[in-house]
Amino acid sequence: MNLAMKDIGSNLSRFLLTLVGVGFLITAAIGMVGLYRGIISDALLIIDNIGADLWVVQGGHAGPFAESSAISPTMDRRVDGVAGVAGARRFVQSSQQFEFEGRDVRASVTGLDFPEDVGGWLRVVRGRHLASAHFEAIADVSLGLALGDEIRLGRDDYAIVGITRGMVDAQGDGLLFVTVNDAMTIASRRNSEEILLARNGMAETADAASASNAGRIAAVVVGLDPAADPERVRAVIGRWGDVDVLSRDDQHALLLDQRLWRLRIQILAFTGVLLVVMAIVISLIIYTMTLEKLHQIAMLKLIGARNSVIVSMIVQQAAMIGLGGFAVGLGFAEAIFPLFPRKVAILPGDLFSLVLAVVVISGVASSFGIARAMKVRAQEVLA
Amino acid sequence: MTRSPILSVRDAARHYQSGETVIRALDGVSFDVFPGELVGIVGPSGSGKSTMLLIAGLLELPTGGCVAFEGEIVSRPGGSIAGLRDFRRRKIGFVFQKANLIPFLTAAENVALVLQIDDVPAAAARLHAERLLAALGLGERLDNRPARLSGGEQQRVAIARALANDPPLLLADEPTAALDSVRGRQVMELFRTIADVRQAGIVVVTHDNRSLDLFDRLVEFSDGRIVAVTDNRPAARPASRPGAA
Ligand SMILES: Nc1ncnc2c1ncn2[C@@H]1O[C@H](COP(=O)(O)OP(=O)(O)OP(=O)(O)O)[C@@H](O)[C@H]1O
Ligand SMILES: [Mg+2]
Repeated sequence: MNLAMKDIGSNLSRFLLTLVGVGFLITAAIGMVGLYRGIISDALLIIDNIGADLWVVQGGHAGPFAESSAISPTMDRRVDGVAGVAGARRFVQSSQQFEFEGRDVRASVTGLDFPEDVGGWLRVVRGRHLASAHFEAIADVSLGLALGDEIRLGRDDYAIVGITRGMVDAQGDGLLFVTVNDAMTIASRRNSEEILLARNGMAETADAASASNAGRIAAVVVGLDPAADPERVRAVIGRWGDVDVLSRDDQHALLLDQRLWRLRIQILAFTGVLLVVMAIVISLIIYTMTLEKLHQIAMLKLIGARNSVIVSMIVQQAAMIGLGGFAVGLGFAEAIFPLFPRKVAILPGDLFSLVLAVVVISGVASSFGIARAMKVRAQEVLA
Repeated sequence: MTRSPILSVRDAARHYQSGETVIRALDGVSFDVFPGELVGIVGPSGSGKSTMLLIAGLLELPTGGCVAFEGEIVSRPGGSIAGLRDFRRRKIGFVFQKANLIPFLTAAENVALVLQIDDVPAAAARLHAERLLAALGLGERLDNRPARLSGGEQQRVAIARALANDPPLLLADEPTAALDSVRGRQVMELFRTIADVRQAGIVVVTHDNRSLDLFDRLVEFSDGRIVAVTDNRPAARPASRPGAA
């Protein structure tokens, strides 16, 4: 007979409650780590997917994501002429709020340099890419728009022709892709008050194209020849003086270590606290479970049970609490996190680390329990 | 008829150091228990009865003297209690004032457990447990957990558990103290039968004067020493002559 199972079976509701408790702790840990991963992956989404080896941005500005940046709309042609450059595209992005069917929608309007870029790198799950130079848009599903919807941006109406999934900016606002020319038009047609504020230098926004930069683009996205030396291309463009060149790694560093630094540290700190709490609670539960059975353990010793009988009972229960709790926690996580407003990225590697942590925690706690159980003397039954 | 004793306690002592003073819980006790013999241990509170049972049951080591099973010395000062667990499992059954059943196991499981930890297959262990419990009048309560059994029933399950391995020696410390007189008498009669039928040697510590007639021999303790031995059936077996005070 399996003592561990018999014990649990005799008080099943309590065991299940414990599993749910441990499960929620693990759900919270998965969520915290996943939120952190999600924020980073959202922030790096465009940088990692747009196909840029280099970004040409306004001189002295770490744009277009960490700081604002505005450069000449014809800069792409200049860049295209540099030896080693395979392609140069214009990039524009601005936060826009508009009304749709009576609700306010906040979107990060991003320009695709049509017709070179029709959005082939987007995760389009429904509909199609851009096919016209004007008035078509691809919207992320998080914006709540459907294929065929018409939205008004600036003074024009745009038709939603494609839907993407999981494409948001660092703030979590859904991306709305239009052609670069449309994006520039939209960015320049903000209300007059905003324009005034911006002109007076009072609007400190990180938008890729702020109102004062109407008619300008935020950056040029540069793809290099496979054979080209990136440092050489950088040096050539850098010598022009009016622009700076940032690599993909530079953009990563700017976002993660500067723009998102505080947020990251904060989330990591909370994650750390949560993991410590999880460790303490799980260990206490497992250790207490053993303590509660010391009398029975003494009895087992009295009737001559080998230590292996006692050890395996403790270890099995610890494993059931630890791994069972993990399974429950993961189940909750899979069920509820997709409903959260921000992306919670549950990565296999993180799950593996977490399950490893749970196994170690359960192992350490049960070894304390075992050490205590080994000290129990058979005659304590009589106490 | 000269049978050799199952249990021989020789000059056993157990002294506890308590600060400056030494408590002589047991102070040089010798006696034998033969197969089929029901021995009662009586004496005032604190006279060392339980201590003697712990030492005879290989749950504690003596600080002096030794304990022998079937002529072989198994416990002496400086020995190892942990190393005696296997021996204990096969040779000694225990019954205490409280039944001390494992609460999350049924009556049958509590009894079968003893066999299973001695590597008896589950089905055989279960069958044996059922027979034993039925023999003790608990055939209807096999699948009840201890919490649903009366005190007397629990105590009978505890006795079945002690008997499961068919040990040659049974040690009981005030097994009837928590029972009313009728149930207490039943339990004592059960011990008498077990001694007669199974030829187990049985030592019972008791305060219960009403059942003393069932015992073959009564050993009286006082201050850690044996002060009197009464043979109820002197003809039945060779007399043991302890070095009484
Ligand atoms: N671990 C110990 N440490 C110190 N003294 C002890 C210890 N165990 C027992 N004693 C003492 O040894 C003496 C004998 O105790 P024991 O339990 O054997 O008595 P007893 O005859 O069983 O008494 P009772 O009838 O009350 O159960 C008592 O004075 C007791 O206080
Ligand atoms: Mg006692």
